[in-house]
Amino acid sequence: MNIRTRVAELLRPSLIAHAHCDIPCGIYHPHIAQQGAESVERMMVLIGELGTPGDAAGLNSLARYVAEKEKAAELVKHEVRIIWGDYFKPPHVEMFPDLHEKVWNIMKLASTCRQGVGLDDAKALRAAVDEFADMFWKTKA
Amino acid sequence: MRPFAAASMIALGALALVRALRRRYFRVEVAGDSMRPTLLPGEYLLLSRAVPSAGRLGAGAIVLLQDATGRPILKRVVGLPGESLRVGTAVFVNRRRLAEPYAIGESPLAQHRGVNRLGEDEYFLIGDNREASTDSRDFGAVRHERIEGVVRFRYWPPRRVGPIGAPHRELGQAEASGELPLGMIPPRN
Repeated sequence: MNIRTRVAELLRPSLIAHAHCDIPCGIYHPHIAQQGAESVERMMVLIGELGTPGDAAGLNSLARYVAEKEKAAELVKHEVRIIWGDYFKPPHVEMFPDLHEKVWNIMKLASTCRQGVGLDDAKALRAAVDEFADMFWKTKA
Repeated sequence: MRPFAAASMIALGALALVRALRRRYFRVEVAGDSMRPTLLPGEYLLLSRAVPSAGRLGAGAIVLLQDATGRPILKRVVGLPGESLRVGTAVFVNRRRLAEPYAIGESPLAQHRGVNRLGEDEYFLIGDNREASTDSRDFGAVRHERIEGVVRFRYWPPRRVGPIGAPHRELGQAEASGELPLGMIPPRN
């Protein structure tokens, strides 16, 4: 061991602080999916409040709300798919035998929210994603 | 004074100094890439336990907190209490583009987000390596009470020894209205 290495060892702190990276390091978090579901619901509310636009400004707003809803719903599907496919392992499926069905339901609800403007569908999506997140955190308990 | 007594006093004084310093400061080793190029894996840092109060902790400071799993992480303060933030390919604070010479890469689309207004004790923290960091873009704003230390000095490796402070914050022109990030509530008109 050379002198530099010895000095480094003497000075080395006992605490390691992570300047941490994400998915490549195996870190998963359902927060993004939950935020996406919340955004879908919010866009549905705004679309509902807008009604039937009668002018260019209203149509512009409607177009923006729909575009955000599309992005948010697709993001929900993407994030849930990653956690379901990459994080959950067989022991987790034993904990939650209906996991696959729950994920399939989220995919269907997200698609429904893209296809329509039903606020109830958005609320159902948000509840389903929250339940998925709850399952995720219980696997870490 | 006898040599032994003098030596004892010096030793006691040194011990008292070390204890006082340890009450004020602590050391960490950096692991991971999310604060590149500012902090590199294997570097040793000195942090102050004295975190400025909410409202006085400045933008640009690098802070330590614990993530959801209890692991200490290092991130940079980008958004301050009361500010509105938009994170896309760049960061906009109150609709003005933030100059970030310390950052590399662009936030991935999945991490684009907006915060309409940070709470009075909330901060938005982002890693300098924008494409390889889990931070407030993922777990949201961080309350002041969660911040456990502020990076002050790097003492290893020798070629990078020196103070680490918060760079001067530069906000550019107000942006024209454009695409809103995911989660940002659009204006009515």
